[in-house]
Amino acid sequence: MRHYFDFDTLREIIDSLFRNRRRTILTGFGIFWGLFMLLFLVGGGNGLKHMLSENFEGFASNTMVMISSNTSKPWKGMKEGRYWQLTRRDVKRLKALMPELDVVAPIVSNWGQTAYYKGNSTNPGVKGISGDYNKIEQPLIKYGRAISDSDVEQERKVCVIGKRIYNDLFPEGGDPCGEFIRVGSVFLQVIGVDFSSGNLSINGSSDNSVIIPFSVAAKLYKRGENVDLICMTGKNGIKMKPLEPRVRSIMAREHLFDPTDDQALMVLNTEQIFSIVDNLFRGVNFLIWLVGIGTLLAGAVGVSNIMMVTVRERTVEIGIRRAIGAVPGDILSQIIWESVTLTLAAGSAGIVFSVLILNVVEVIAHKPFFQIHFWTAILAALLLSVLGVLAGLAPALRAMKIKPVDAMRDE
Amino acid sequence: MLIELNNIHKTYDNGQPLHVLKGIDLSIEKGEFVSIMGASGSGKSTLLNILGILDNYDEGEYHLAGHLIKNLSERESATYRNQMIGFVFQSFNLIGFKTAVENVELPLFYQGMNRHRRHEIAMSYLEKMGLTDWASHYPNEMSGGQKQRVAIARALITHPEIILADEPTGALDSKTSVEVMELLTKLNREDGVTIIVVTHESGVANCADKIVHIKDGLIERIEDNRQHHSSVFGTTTIMK
Repeated sequence: MRHYFDFDTLREIIDSLFRNRRRTILTGFGIFWGLFMLLFLVGGGNGLKHMLSENFEGFASNTMVMISSNTSKPWKGMKEGRYWQLTRRDVKRLKALMPELDVVAPIVSNWGQTAYYKGNSTNPGVKGISGDYNKIEQPLIKYGRAISDSDVEQERKVCVIGKRIYNDLFPEGGDPCGEFIRVGSVFLQVIGVDFSSGNLSINGSSDNSVIIPFSVAAKLYKRGENVDLICMTGKNGIKMKPLEPRVRSIMAREHLFDPTDDQALMVLNTEQIFSIVDNLFRGVNFLIWLVGIGTLLAGAVGVSNIMMVTVRERTVEIGIRRAIGAVPGDILSQIIWESVTLTLAAGSAGIVFSVLILNVVEVIAHKPFFQIHFWTAILAALLLSVLGVLAGLAPALRAMKIKPVDAMRDE
Repeated sequence: MLIELNNIHKTYDNGQPLHVLKGIDLSIEKGEFVSIMGASGSGKSTLLNILGILDNYDEGEYHLAGHLIKNLSERESATYRNQMIGFVFQSFNLIGFKTAVENVELPLFYQGMNRHRRHEIAMSYLEKMGLTDWASHYPNEMSGGQKQRVAIARALITHPEIILADEPTGALDSKTSVEVMELLTKLNREDGVTIIVVTHESGVANCADKIVHIKDGLIERIEDNRQHHSSVFGTTTIMK
C-alpha cells in the first residue's frame, strides 16, 4: 500500500477541495484573515515600538540627571528656601566616592544666544559639555568630530553645531569645519556637525544647539565653579535607582541640606522612562499575540467544522474507497492532507497579503520598521501546518470509522 | 474450492439481537457463475457482505482462495478486498467528481501503481466495455448502463478472484439489464471470471449456472440451472 505523498495524492486533494469551491473559499477565509491579523498586528506593533524608540536613539538608557533646587527643609541652623548650586568639585567627588559610576559629566548651558555666519543668523542654545558626555548623548557626526576631553582641558574655543543650526548658517551645505561662527560676542571655530535626531536630550535638543567645551562655557558665561546639572551613567549592568540615596547623602553632606529633603536635589532617572516603554510594549505584544492567535484558532475551528460536514457528506464516497481497497490510513491521510492543504493555501495568502499591506504602511509612514521578519513568516507557515493537522484530526478519525458497508446503506 | 463457507452465523445487535444468518454452508468453485436469491430480509445482503469481507461473522469459517477470512484487521481486509474481490453495486457507486477512467483506475491507485501504467490498464478495460469514447466523461453524463459497465471495469481491473454483484440490474431498465447480464455472462464464459450475483429478480438469477435460494438465514436449496430454465417469464428477458 501507499504511504507517501505524491502527485496523485495532491490531485485527489485538489479534486475534493474544488468540488465545493465556494465553501472551501469561505472556510479558507477564516484562516486567511486570522493569519493576516496576526502578522499585520505583529508588524504594526514592532513598527510602533521602533518609531517610539527612535526618539531615544543614541541616548544611554541608564542615565541619571541631577539638578539643584531650593531646599524645602531647615538644616543645621539654616532656613528652608535656600538656593545652592552643583559645582565641578561634585563631579570629582562623585567619581571618587562611587566606583559604580561610569560617566559623570557636568553641563553648563546658556539660552537666548544669537549665532552669525556671513549674514546668516540663528538662535541656538549653547551647551557646554565634557568629552565623556558624548557617551550619554551620542552625537551622529556628519562632518568633523565631537568635543573631546582635551578641548575641555585646553579651553579651546571650538564648537559642534546641530543640524538646524548648520542648515541655518550654512544654507549652501558643504563641510563647515574650520569656519568661524560668532555666538554672542565670541568667535568659535566649527569642528563638527551633529546630525543626531533623537528626541530625548538634556538641556535642549542637539539639533538646536551649539555645543562647546564646558570649561569655555563656564568662562564665557561667568559661572566660576558652578555647573547647571550633572549627568551620570552606571557601569555595565549597574542599576541606577538603588544608587540614588547614596548620591543624595553625598550631595547633602557637601552642600549642607537635609538628606531627606527630596526637593533640594532633583534626580531624573531615564531607566524608569525606558522601563515604562518596555513594559507598555510587552503588554501590547501580549495582546497582539492573544488576538492574533485567537483569530487564527477560530479559523482553524471553522476548518475542522467544515471538514466534519464534508466527511459526513462523503460517507458513501469514503465507503466506496474502502470497499475497493483503501486502508484506513489512506482515508486518514487524505482528510488530514485536505485540511493541511486548505489551511496552508489560505494561510500563505494571508502571509502574502499582510506582507503587502505592511509594505504599503512602510511606504506611507516613510519608516522601514513595519515589515515582518522572514523567519516570522516561516514560523507562521509552520504554525499553520500544525493547525491544519490538528483541524483535520477529528474529522479524519471520524472518516476512518466509516465502514464500507455504510456506503451501501446510505443510499 | 475458491470459496468455502462452514456454518456461518451472524447476529446483528441493535437494541434487540437479530439472528440473520443461522448456519450457512456453501462452496463455490473457480469459474462458477452463481446467483444468490431470496426475499428482502432473508439475509442475502449480509451473506454478500461477509463474502466481500465488508462485514465479519460471529461463528463458523470462511476460506477465500485458501485464506481463512476471520478476525482480520481493517488493513488486511482492505488488502484482500483490493486484490481478490471486485464489487458491482446496485447504485453503481462511482465517485461523482472523477471521470470514468479515473474511477476505473482507483483500485490500482490504492495499490500504489504509477499513474501512467494505471491509466493504460484502465483504458484497456474501458475499451473492453466499449466505453473508450466515454473515458473522460463524468458519471452524471452517462446512462445507467454505461455507469454499470464502468463499475464492472473498475471491479475487473485488479484481476480479482471473484466479482460480487449486489443487485447489479436493480437501477436499470429491462433492456440495459439484459445487456449487463450478457456482459457478466460473457466475462464468465470467455475469461473464466467467478461471478456471484445477489438478486431478487428471477430473470437475473436465471443467467447463473447455479442458484442459491436463501430463506430466513438458511440455504433453502441449491438449484442447478445450467439449462437456464429457472425464469418463469422465459429465458431471454428480464421481467421488471
